[in-house]
Amino acid sequence: MASTACFVIVSKNDIPIYEAEVGSAPKREDQAYQHQFILHAALDVVQDLAWATNTMFLKSVDRFDDLVVSVYVTAGHTRFMLLHDSRSEDGIKSFFQEVHELYIKIFLNPLYLPGSRITSSHFDTKVRALARKYL
Amino acid sequence: MEPGVSIESGSAIRVAVLPVGGPISPARLRDYAALVARHARVDLASLRPYYSEHQKSPFAHQPWGGGCLRLKFVLGGCVPSPWEDFQSSRKVLAVVGICHLPSSPDLGRVAADFVDAARSYPSALASRCFAFCPTDAQLVQKKRDNIIMFPPSDQQSLELHMLTMIQDLSASLLMEFEKWVLRAESTGTILKTPLDSQSSLGSEEVIKAKKRRLGRAQKIIGDYCLLAGSPADANAHYATAIELARLTGDVFWHAGALEGSVCALVVDRMAESDPVLEDEVKFRYYTIIQLYRRATLQDNAQRVSPVSFELEAALKLARYLCRRQCAKEVSDLLMGAADGAKALIDASDRLILYIEIARLFGTLGYKRKAAFFSRQVAQLYLQQDNAYAAMNAMQVLTTTTTAYHVQSRKTSKMDHGLLKLYWLSLFDSGNTDPGKWHPQSVVSLFESQWSTLQMVVLREILMSSIRAADPLSSWSAAARLLRLHSFPLHPSQREIVKRNPNKKEWWTGGGPSGPFIYTPFTKGGTSGTSKQEVNWIVGEPVQVMVELANPCSFDLIVESIYLSVHSGNFDAFPVSVNLPPNTSKLVLLSGIPTQVGQVSIPGCIVHCFGVITEHLFKEVDCLLLGAAQGLVLSDPFRCCGSSKFKSVNFPSISVVPPLPLLVANVVGGDGSILLYEGEIRDVLITLTNAGTVPVEEANVALSGKNQDSVISIAHSTWKSALPIKPGGEVTFAVTLRAWHLSPTDLEADGSRSPANSRRIAREGSNPFLDIHYAGPSGNSESNDVSLPPGRRLVVPLNICVVQGMRLVRARLLSMELPARFTDAHLRSVSSKDNLSNGSDAIRNDISLLKIDPYKGSWDLRLLELELFNPTDVVFDVDVSVHLDGTSVEQKILPEDKTASSACHKTRIDRDYSARVLIPLEHFKLPVLDTSFFVKENGSDEPLGSRAATLAEKNAKAELNASINNLISKIKVKWHSGRNSSGELNIKDAIQTALQASIMDILLPDPLTFSFRHAKDGTTAKTDSSKEPGDGSSRSADESVLRCKDPIFANEMTHMEVQIRNNTKETIQMNLSISCKDVAGENCFDENSATVLWAGVLSDIYLEVQPLQEVVHPFSIYFLVPGDYSLQAASVIIDATDVLRARAKAESPDEPILCRGSPFHIHVVGTA
Repeated sequence: MASTACFVIVSKNDIPIYEAEVGSAPKREDQAYQHQFILHAALDVVQDLAWATNTMFLKSVDRFDDLVVSVYVTAGHTRFMLLHDSRSEDGIKSFFQEVHELYIKIFLNPLYLPGSRITSSHFDTKVRALARKYL
Repeated sequence: MEPGVSIESGSAIRVAVLPVGGPISPARLRDYAALVARHARVDLASLRPYYSEHQKSPFAHQPWGGGCLRLKFVLGGCVPSPWEDFQSSRKVLAVVGICHLPSSPDLGRVAADFVDAARSYPSALASRCFAFCPTDAQLVQKKRDNIIMFPPSDQQSLELHMLTMIQDLSASLLMEFEKWVLRAESTGTILKTPLDSQSSLGSEEVIKAKKRRLGRAQKIIGDYCLLAGSPADANAHYATAIELARLTGDVFWHAGALEGSVCALVVDRMAESDPVLEDEVKFRYYTIIQLYRRATLQDNAQRVSPVSFELEAALKLARYLCRRQCAKEVSDLLMGAADGAKALIDASDRLILYIEIARLFGTLGYKRKAAFFSRQVAQLYLQQDNAYAAMNAMQVLTTTTTAYHVQSRKTSKMDHGLLKLYWLSLFDSGNTDPGKWHPQSVVSLFESQWSTLQMVVLREILMSSIRAADPLSSWSAAARLLRLHSFPLHPSQREIVKRNPNKKEWWTGGGPSGPFIYTPFTKGGTSGTSKQEVNWIVGEPVQVMVELANPCSFDLIVESIYLSVHSGNFDAFPVSVNLPPNTSKLVLLSGIPTQVGQVSIPGCIVHCFGVITEHLFKEVDCLLLGAAQGLVLSDPFRCCGSSKFKSVNFPSISVVPPLPLLVANVVGGDGSILLYEGEIRDVLITLTNAGTVPVEEANVALSGKNQDSVISIAHSTWKSALPIKPGGEVTFAVTLRAWHLSPTDLEADGSRSPANSRRIAREGSNPFLDIHYAGPSGNSESNDVSLPPGRRLVVPLNICVVQGMRLVRARLLSMELPARFTDAHLRSVSSKDNLSNGSDAIRNDISLLKIDPYKGSWDLRLLELELFNPTDVVFDVDVSVHLDGTSVEQKILPEDKTASSACHKTRIDRDYSARVLIPLEHFKLPVLDTSFFVKENGSDEPLGSRAATLAEKNAKAELNASINNLISKIKVKWHSGRNSSGELNIKDAIQTALQASIMDILLPDPLTFSFRHAKDGTTAKTDSSKEPGDGSSRSADESVLRCKDPIFANEMTHMEVQIRNNTKETIQMNLSISCKDVAGENCFDENSATVLWAGVLSDIYLEVQPLQEVVHPFSIYFLVPGDYSLQAASVIIDATDVLRARAKAESPDEPILCRGSPFHIHVVGTA
């Protein structure tokens, strides 16, 4: 089944530092924009919700046109946002947790400036592998 | 759906405000309407003087003390809703006409006009026509009762007058409501919505409907109570209605009554906001939404769907709850409503829904959400194809710019104004609340990295403003888009290069020594001393970047800050800075060096709180160190965000005398030069000397990538302009040819959707013009050492190559079907002027058929190019075959005098492909030579292997040369629009296509046959050249043969056949000539009597010397007019290997047959 999934990491300054289309549905350019727009809009909801709960995984916070936004907020208020069509919550949770571990590894890199764009291809490969595994 | 609904809107009396009479200017109309619309709330107490109780009022609990009537003025009126029976607030209950009397002198016509206008609102219970600014003549006219004139007076008394009139209108409305309710209570009323099926009712349904009627009537009476400002009465009626509806299962009306009851509740307790009320409202409204949903499900089969009521209810509740505290609930409601958009059939309903959602999110403070839905609104507008919609789209998009950070500081005010205007124009009710849209924080353009979104939004603004024909907005959007795409100026724009006096080409080696901007090897030595040499130039402004930090917890206002210079040869410019608490800021401090010498800048001078202090840069280190050790009370991590600037050793600066300063400008703007692949274009570059010293010498060179895309630089133009005096300028042309995109580029460009293929110039793929220049070489007597430095200017040629036409395939057609040329083709192909001068009639009806009656085609080979246009413009393709230089063609084709021949232009629309045919018949070599067959014959020849290889190599090279020659003659040029043109690079494709059969195309046949009409013994110049193919192989033949002069039947026609030997050997042969009629019957048959002949026609033994011709005369006599074709064929006796090879004979004893193509004769009757 072709699925849509768009994964974005947003820094605490609301700047996207990593983006990946991890779905298996064929890419369409206008859709890619639309995904980003939905994710960008969902930040508003996340902003309120993040302080209303003490879990990191906020589950699905927003939706538009059959697409759901699930969010995971790290302690540093970096947000992992996944736009997806309906899928198991457990898989998404595991995905987020593993990506969090990867993110921490990136964070530990002394050459990485927190809040800057993640350009590591290794990270990218791993994230895509995780997406294949869990999503 | 209706815009701007809220829970209270059930209690508002809808009043249509219509302009009547003569034309009213929009501004004036707005003024008058505002005068009317300010009375949206009329206190019941003030109605007393106008109200008279005719019978006992049904509104028993009317709160005469504190109640009020709510009026909702709709300027311009509205279309009656099919649902107005369901909710009385949807009805237009009163009509107010507005008339500007100076523009409508005839009062009678105004009255009639108003009556006409009011007639379209049958539900109106009261109507008034207000006439403003009456002239004296109109004032003295007979009073008309239905026109109320407002005599000219000051604003205050006008308002008072209007208040009176509105109170009067409200009082009469109130009385009408009473009447209506009394009548409804006594006689009952029939209420229908589009939900109730109009079709035949079953008996069961009739009974059901009767039961329901009572409940519905109660609901409507409740509505009227609400409108009359008596929520308590309304509540009682609604309670009855709810009970009845529940009993009869009238789900839809149940929901409606419930909604009314909530409205009554809210209106009743308007002033208070207590959590109990809120919970009650929430509970009831969730029930309402559920009920509407049930109604929707029930009536799914029907054409009309009440889904809009469900959505409206959700919006109403959301608006009621819309506060930060309830953000979660509101956003859930709104998201649910947004999901409902798909169920809405009407596009305008969807538009209203999205607008409302965007407004509510905006009110909630969810700016990004609001922007998202605003963009959805804009897209819906853009789907409508008119300028107004585009204008709306543009304005809505403009409101999103804050959220997407694409606005500039200056426009923020204006955007807000626009926005306000927009909301006002869209929702004429006074219920607008654009306050939350204040651009709360103006963020600089690059702060946020959602650049894709920014680009998309800006592009959409640009698109809509173009559609809306708003040049200013398009310009602004385009400019911002450009800024987003543009890269910063290269720092090397004004780079100084030391001149080496010993070298003539002083610029070489002066530039950066490698691909890296910074190399540790060159800087390594100097870093020890930590002093870098910086050169400043007298009279040229310089900037120094300084980081300021405010560790205090209050705003720091620096009145002025400037560089402190002790050497006295520098003018510093002060700036003022405002530092928010606990922030740091980078400030550019500028100044102008005034004299040659050393400059030392120890720090900067700060005026702050009325105190002037000098801050020294070297103290900063100690400060930071102290902070790190905790000695100084400051937080370096919070205040000084970047550690990069911490400890800069201030370099030693020397000021040098003025140098020339060239500024380059690409004519036509600094944006990317958009070129289609292969496009050739001249780009004009203007160099201006902005310095105070003339430019004496210069050198222009290329650097960077894709240098070969620059075909030529007009060096002579700028050279002739030297020296460039201060202020002087020179413009020179650079010819560019766009390179071809590699497949990866195409992939990245996403050009599969050509409509919005991104055209982003890839940074780093552009060539640069390196211009080294220098001023005069100082005083002639001074020695070389004081040679002033030169400078380097780098002009990036921002070429953005977009995908142009694609060559899909090139192939040589197999010619199984004969090619058919019309005259037009032929004329353009060879421009045979001498042919076109006579017998057009004949020529026109004979299409030139190149058919071999035996083989299908006379081996005219066509090269087919299939081209596809994936772009969004139209291309004109022009295939030309240049026959320049060689006289080959002229020998074979004496009539073809032109050096080139061109096919017609082929137009290829966007997203279409087209095929272009190139006839390949002009490429014959003059002589059929042995050398071409060396390769084939190599095995037979007893030559030494070495010699053979050599000969083979030679032959190969020669063959390749001729192939290349052939290919280079084929040019596919294209034009697009007025000024784009270029050439398609198809050499490789053609080469592969031709490789297999190149021999056939290039080599001539051994023998060429041509017929002539010998009139009266003298040969008329009507010949046709003919190269017969050898029997088995295909051979290209010359253009089709025709007799120019008409040949008459029953007349002796003298013909001759000319045979030319194209080889270097003598050929012996047996020639025979045949004649066929249109049916293909042999006319020289003994038994047939259609054609008589004199002379020998078969088995003629001829011997032709190498490269010579022989002529064989004969005469024919046609008995029947018609079309005939003559054909010559000969069997070559003792064919050589060459001939065999050419004929591709398989066995050595196979007879070699040469045949000419048919010579067409049109025989006309003698009559």
